[in-house]
Amino acid sequence: MKPTARHPHLRSTAYDPRLASRASEGERDRNFADNLIEPAAESRQAQPAAEMCSVVFTYNGATAAALRGIDLTLNPGEMVGIMGASGAGKSTLAKCLNRLVPAFEPGEFSGIVRIRGRTLDGARVSDVSPLVGMVFQDFEAQLFSTNVALEIAFTMQQLGMPREEIVSRIEPALAAVGLTGFAHRDPTSLSGGEKQRLAIAAVLALRPGVIVLDEPTTDLDPEGKAEVFALIRELREQGLSLIVIEHEADELRGCDRLLVLRDGQIVAQGPPASVMTQLELLETCGVHPPDLNRALAILGVRAHAATVEDAEALIRQVLSISVEGTPEGAQWSPAHQEERSADDQTSLQWAQDNKESATCASDQEKTARGRANNERDGWGSSGSPLAEAQQLYFSYPLGPRVLDAINFRIGPGEFVAIVGQNGSGKTTLAKHLVGLLKPTAGRVLLEGRDRTTLRPAETAHKAGYVFQNPDHQIFASTVEAEIAFGPSNFGLSKDEIEGRVAEVLHAVNLEGARERDPFLLSKGERQRLAVASVLALRPRLLILDEPTTGLDYREQLRMMGLVRSLNRTGIAIIIITHAPWLVAEYARRAVLMRRGRILFDGPVDKFFQQDDLLRQSSFRPPEVTLLARRFGLAALSPEEFASAIRALAETDKS
Amino acid sequence: MQTSLYLDRGTWIHRLHPAVKLFALFIMFWSVFWVDHPLALLPVAIVMVLLAQASRSWPNFYTFRWFLILMIPPTMLEWMAVYRAGAPIVNLWAIHLSRQALLFGFGRGLKLALLLSSSILFLSTTTIEEFTTSLVTFRMPHRVAFAMSLAFRLVPLFMDSALTVVQAQSLRGYDFNRGNLVERMKRYVPAVIPVFMGALRRANNMAMALEARGFGLGITPTSFIEYRIERRDIVALLALIVMGTVYFIVYFKGYAAIAAG
Repeated sequence: MKPTARHPHLRSTAYDPRLASRASEGERDRNFADNLIEPAAESRQAQPAAEMCSVVFTYNGATAAALRGIDLTLNPGEMVGIMGASGAGKSTLAKCLNRLVPAFEPGEFSGIVRIRGRTLDGARVSDVSPLVGMVFQDFEAQLFSTNVALEIAFTMQQLGMPREEIVSRIEPALAAVGLTGFAHRDPTSLSGGEKQRLAIAAVLALRPGVIVLDEPTTDLDPEGKAEVFALIRELREQGLSLIVIEHEADELRGCDRLLVLRDGQIVAQGPPASVMTQLELLETCGVHPPDLNRALAILGVRAHAATVEDAEALIRQVLSISVEGTPEGAQWSPAHQEERSADDQTSLQWAQDNKESATCASDQEKTARGRANNERDGWGSSGSPLAEAQQLYFSYPLGPRVLDAINFRIGPGEFVAIVGQNGSGKTTLAKHLVGLLKPTAGRVLLEGRDRTTLRPAETAHKAGYVFQNPDHQIFASTVEAEIAFGPSNFGLSKDEIEGRVAEVLHAVNLEGARERDPFLLSKGERQRLAVASVLALRPRLLILDEPTTGLDYREQLRMMGLVRSLNRTGIAIIIITHAPWLVAEYARRAVLMRRGRILFDGPVDKFFQQDDLLRQSSFRPPEVTLLARRFGLAALSPEEFASAIRALAETDKS
Repeated sequence: MQTSLYLDRGTWIHRLHPAVKLFALFIMFWSVFWVDHPLALLPVAIVMVLLAQASRSWPNFYTFRWFLILMIPPTMLEWMAVYRAGAPIVNLWAIHLSRQALLFGFGRGLKLALLLSSSILFLSTTTIEEFTTSLVTFRMPHRVAFAMSLAFRLVPLFMDSALTVVQAQSLRGYDFNRGNLVERMKRYVPAVIPVFMGALRRANNMAMALEARGFGLGITPTSFIEYRIERRDIVALLALIVMGTVYFIVYFKGYAAIAAG
């Protein structure tokens, strides 16, 4: 790293951390709220909040540059959203703004980064901390203190701020994120959303010029997500300068400007209306385009819809439909229920977008399709259950009840999504099915036999479990050895193991990676490897705990394409997830849990009609579902919506 | 999950100056160190019970109950095998069982249990910030003190991830408990690697977050909580000094030696 050598003129701007605290001292006379609303009143005319000029960065040991000539200006009070696939350079860009790159992450850096006109060249990360507040995805790793007040005080203490000053800033910061009254709570006792809001409060207390949020909601449940995005919207209204990095485009529609990164370069930027309509570009960049825009595009409307209302107006205008729907009510026209059988077509279309998964499906597809179609007639399964929980109760010693009178069964070939807030008991229930937890009362049957009477080898063949974090099980030095680990524990012959390894490598499309080191694979590949290593035991029921968390859209599609193709071969699937679109597009049956109880268990389309139940769990139906209702239709995906609305337009005309 | 043993009870023990608490921990270790006879250890045990009651730390003792109980018998057995002094009550091949060996073994077990108890008591009544402050009071550099106290916070997180890893591997049919001791140790490789890699990743994330939040600026951090020396601190300090001195005298005069016979 030789930034100063390359830009000798920058050396004159020597950075003094005390300057920063002195600058904030100047603002101290004003109260905190004023600062939030007009943080940069004087600098508004003067300088951009943040600026990057031709920034190029290559991590040590990497062959390709992570950032290749980034030019970016963040104006005071502006909110910029950054999207892109994993590895596109989003986090690297964010880290440049607070000197984590290149001061913490070593590498070859060139270019200029300025915060409020001050060049960061040569500064340490901690020097920049009062100027740029950063909120990370990993909320566990960014909280260090034993109570909320101390957490907020942390950075201010490090900066050597006077005690009275620190005290005076804690309450307003807590109030700004809606955590008033939490000052004495232990941060570890907070929910994910509260922890992330606390991290934001700690940053707000410093009154930084820029706040950077690097995928702040990736690890949160729907409720936490909603909380954090509501807060971000509020901060934006108060005029703070924000940079938000996100996988899902939906949440970034409120930004002033969007940036799409690919391979370290900005490939598109502009207001949401211009970026969100470039669907092909977004998809090739690993971004999940908003479903409303996808639905419009299928109908041939090249326009941006920021809300369901906008989309409705656009469609009514273009297709001149007069039929009124029921925007809020849950009245569904039974005539359109059959539309769900179009699912196979839509799923095929998606599989084609994602060619690899289409190939892995193709082998068994011919034999499995007939069966899958029969099963689609009913959401459940007529066969005898693979796994069954009867009057299941569970609580940890001295702890509250986690499962409360659970009755659940899953039959061959089913595809079930279990949803609910964190702490609702989803994972606990799943762990009971594979015998990782022992029920406090009640029992679990696997293929009709009490699970406690089964040997581990028998359990493994009946039910497999893929943990949320693939890194919790990967340890071998090659992909092949990782997959062979399970079968070899059961004493299978060498030929048999070899055969299974080849089979599952093909199924998860990792044939090319056979000899590679698992730790060098991408997160998506590691996730598929974890699935492969469980598949090698040939379970008839596969449970996946949040299989798409932390993956970008392309990886998510590939992962779910794999899961769907496995389901078509007859393997029953249970996914635990927080993503409504995933439930809508892939599952056939949904189970909603809350406080250890099952509140809903039924077909997916019925599930999305349970307005009250969904609202209680902060689980929003997909926007196309809400849009369809406005026309009195039922749809779970943009494709379904498009075909339904076309049919409606036809009948409306005739 | 809970990541520290601290119980926010606000008793007078909790309110002691952090340095006094650390000194108390030291005196407990010191006192236990000098004597072998179980009877001489009894006063420490009584102090411990009174302090646990006063600070309402029993839930943590309950969590560690099996460790505390199981520390004594194996230690006794071990010392029966190696302690050779005294007239034997039983003398069978390698086992040379005398009254002294029994007393000595029991004393050693009790010592370990008391060391663990005093640590539980310390962690139940001291926050991570107080721990840092106490180390800084004894002239440890702030950075080092902070890093040490942070380690306490990380241990439960690693335990949690280790549990998940063990679950994941056992579902793949792996049996961790097969073979003799050495083989068993080797068999933990499929668990150790993921935990270790996870720890590295987490440590990296944490270091990044720390720097981003101004750690390591080189400025003496403001101490947000002000710890004043109160009268109870002086009283506690004197009591601890007396206790430490008495135990040293007991050792020096040989009062607590285990008599032959």
